[in-house]
Amino acid sequence: MASSSSSGLTFKLHPLVIVNISDHYTRVKSQLSLPPSLTSTSSAATSNNNNNNSNGGENNQNPPPRVYGCVIGVQRGRTVEIFNSFELIYDPSTRSLDRSFLEKKQELYKKVFPHFYVLGWYSTGSDAQESDMHFHKALMDINESPLYVLLNPAINPAQKDLPVTIYESELHVIDGVPQLIFVRSSYLIETVEAERISVDHVAHLKPSGGSAATQLAAQLTGIHSAIKMLNSRIRVLHQYLVGMQKGDIPCESSVLRQVSSLLRRLPAIESEKFQDDFLMEYNDTLLITYLAMFTNCSSTMNELVDKFNTTYDRHSRRGGRTAFI
Amino acid sequence: MDSAIAQKTWELENNILTVETPDPSSDSIFYYDVAAQAKFQQEKPWANDPHYFKRVKISALALLKMVVHARSGGTIEVMGLMQGKTDGDAIIVMDAFALPVEGTETRVNAQADAYEYMVDYSQTNKQAGRLENVVGWYHSHPGYGCWLSGIDVSTQMLNQQFQEPFLAVVIDPTRTVSAGKVEIGAFRTYPEGYKPPDDPISEYQTIPLNKIEDFGVHCKQYYALDITYFKSSLDCHLLDLLWNKYWVNTLSSSPLLGNGDYVAGQISDLAEKLEQAENQLAHSRIGPLGPPRKKEESQLAKITRDSAKITLEQVHGLMSQVIKDILFNSVRQSSRSQNDQSGPEPMIET
Repeated sequence: MASSSSSGLTFKLHPLVIVNISDHYTRVKSQLSLPPSLTSTSSAATSNNNNNNSNGGENNQNPPPRVYGCVIGVQRGRTVEIFNSFELIYDPSTRSLDRSFLEKKQELYKKVFPHFYVLGWYSTGSDAQESDMHFHKALMDINESPLYVLLNPAINPAQKDLPVTIYESELHVIDGVPQLIFVRSSYLIETVEAERISVDHVAHLKPSGGSAATQLAAQLTGIHSAIKMLNSRIRVLHQYLVGMQKGDIPCESSVLRQVSSLLRRLPAIESEKFQDDFLMEYNDTLLITYLAMFTNCSSTMNELVDKFNTTYDRHSRRGGRTAFI
Repeated sequence: MDSAIAQKTWELENNILTVETPDPSSDSIFYYDVAAQAKFQQEKPWANDPHYFKRVKISALALLKMVVHARSGGTIEVMGLMQGKTDGDAIIVMDAFALPVEGTETRVNAQADAYEYMVDYSQTNKQAGRLENVVGWYHSHPGYGCWLSGIDVSTQMLNQQFQEPFLAVVIDPTRTVSAGKVEIGAFRTYPEGYKPPDDPISEYQTIPLNKIEDFGVHCKQYYALDITYFKSSLDCHLLDLLWNKYWVNTLSSSPLLGNGDYVAGQISDLAEKLEQAENQLAHSRIGPLGPPRKKEESQLAKITRDSAKITLEQVHGLMSQVIKDILFNSVRQSSRSQNDQSGPEPMIET
């Protein structure tokens, strides 16, 4: 398997797909393994599960099941964006793909998301295998160049990077025979604002509601962690460059070029128009704050007046209102 | 040390229950026990107690799908169904799927159209290994809050007669994006003629003027359930790792840009409410009000709360913009003298 893709397509993956695949896998796995409370051997199984935590809680009897499914999304020009996915029925031993099921599901999804096309398929496992090529070829009549998204469900606490890889297929001539092999591609994580908020919500279990102070804290914490991340990445780059300067690390001009182009992109925007628009937005927000303050003040005033009236009217019941206001 | 104390105080204030990192053995929630579910279905403990179900547990996947679908509808209401199971007095939502019907005022009829889709979808799901049944429906109220309208209430009452156990979930994608947190509510209606024994205090939310009548008429006919979320251990792990790539999106999000229309709408709505309040206050100036009603706030107080909320969201949005500006635009300015202030200057001295 070659290690770099040359097709030039940019891939964008939505977090929904990742959670989808993970859910599919967890579901199938828990259906296969015995639930902890039902059988007598369960206590042994669960204690073993706890010990084998590093294996991702594998059942002692069978290896973790592989699940298969289809990914759908949109391809615009050179950008391929994967939005969603659904399950498929595939039997690896007989290599039979349930065609009618696939078509049925495709139809259903077309009704709700008319813009999405089948872009490829997904599976779980630790590495792409030869047998996967059969599935890949089976999908080729729907999409000439399908993608293969592989998720590695093994939970490894030392892992720093997402265990998701995207493979494309390329026709290479090996030993005089043209063969399709998998090549890895890089991808970006793309999201819409709503998706980001819900992922944030589920990942960090942010508090909903509560006083203004807590909301402010939540908002600032989010930004703070993002900036911390940015900072650490920049530090790594800095150390790398310093090392290069000292001569500890061999000079690599491509990296240097990228860093220099990155630096030249700062400041991000500096035009007059931007400053104008930015200040306008700033002023708008200040105006809203001012209005809100006004409303608050008038409400408090109103309450004060009401209280005044109630207090002082008690003494002068007769003769109607002689009190204030 | 200080930060640890501050964090603990914050957690206490917000009743944050630390969810222990789910380990693989706790993924048992994903197991669908056919026999136990069938037994529960037969027993029908909810038939005797209209308030039987009190909690809802939503999986990460279901939440994500529902919010994304709701947002993709823009200002049009969308709807879908949720699949899951029950567990004592809790309804567990494992997954959700969208229905190909557009929300209109006659949504009750649209449900009939969606049945074919639903049957097809459920069949394919069972084949693919998802055994859960439909336990509820969700729809979106873009921009006007999470509550059940008159039509929603009648739809849900019908559902609760024939398709028990059934749950209604409402999502507001516009407010989600504006506030930066998920606006979602789960409801069940009371059967016809049932009066709830006590008046539960629901969380206050601002409702636009044109919908407030609909809200007021029906708000006593249903109750809200507590929502908690859960995720599998693999989800947990993946989401943690996702942050490595995700922080870019957090920094680059601009909530102010996407929601300009919504904010403008809210402000004009507030203006209308202010006018109404002014009329109400003018009439009540004659003579003192009776014994002060402590429960109901005056209209003006409600308006103040609403305006504070909108302002807060705007300010948060602006804060992130200003931070980004300082981070990425202030490069050249460090070489200028310290006295030269180039960023936007605040107009108020604090």
